[in-house]
Amino acid sequence: MSDFVCHLKQYRLAKGLTQEQLAAQVGVRRETIMRLEKAQYNPSLKLAVDIARAVEAPIEDIFQFD
Amino acid sequence: MKKKTILRIVLPGLVCASVMAASSWYAIRYNDRRLVKPMDFSTYVFSSKDLPMLVSLGLVLLYAAYLVVLWVRAFMRQRRSPAASQFTRTVSPKLGFLGLLGFLGFSGFWTYQRSGSVFPFVFFIFFGFFGFFYEGKMSHTLMDERYKENWMRAHFNANQAALKIIFVATILLGQGALGDNLSRTFMFYIIAVTLALALGIFLGEYLLYRYDHDEQPDESEG
Repeated sequence: MSDFVCHLKQYRLAKGLTQEQLAAQVGVRRETIMRLEKAQYNPSLKLAVDIARAVEAPIEDIFQFD
Repeated sequence: MKKKTILRIVLPGLVCASVMAASSWYAIRYNDRRLVKPMDFSTYVFSSKDLPMLVSLGLVLLYAAYLVVLWVRAFMRQRRSPAASQFTRTVSPKLGFLGLLGFLGFSGFWTYQRSGSVFPFVFFIFFGFFGFFYEGKMSHTLMDERYKENWMRAHFNANQAALKIIFVATILLGQGALGDNLSRTFMFYIIAVTLALALGIFLGEYLLYRYDHDEQPDESEG
């Protein structure tokens, strides 16, 4: 079970990015973005920061830990 | 296969094979099968008729060295290229059929009965090559952090399973579970170790594939 909530999908859509485009921007595979959005994968700090920069949103708003 | 690859690798190989076949034919026909049939080299005396066979043997050795140099150069080039090092190697899943060579290991029971040789059991390691079926499916995959994490988890679990089998085999056989017959104990130990190594090789690739593909998420872009 995931111990965090991920709001990446709404920020990505608001930015008008596809999963493929976001994945290319942050240097991961599309499957990794899919799993992130479903909170099935706990990203490293570097990836979390890269994603926050890509969607231009605060990191703590995208990933919320219990 | 690229035309350049054929010219650089296959063609010299074919030339070497042809020269070797021709010199073997010459040795069998005109030189009393010298250097073809097994012979005692401690009493070897050079004869001019040996020249074709010696030249072809030299050519084969040169070809083998040439292949090693090509392989090392390709390996170094791939390591230096940052783009290439970010992706998994390109492997055909069909290489997994090499795992069938593992069945040659069963011939060890026959050779052990006949001559006491246990070497054929080493072929059991080839069972690990069934892992190519899964590595091939992950061919040329971007090695992002999730992939690396899964790779470490998969190989840790695979190595742990292999080590557990070797550990149990060592304890059981070391205690003399098969009696005092040292030869049979050694045979079963070789079988256990080779099968454990094969399992470790196979499981590493299988678990990596499973970890990467389980819990299939919603494929929609949303």
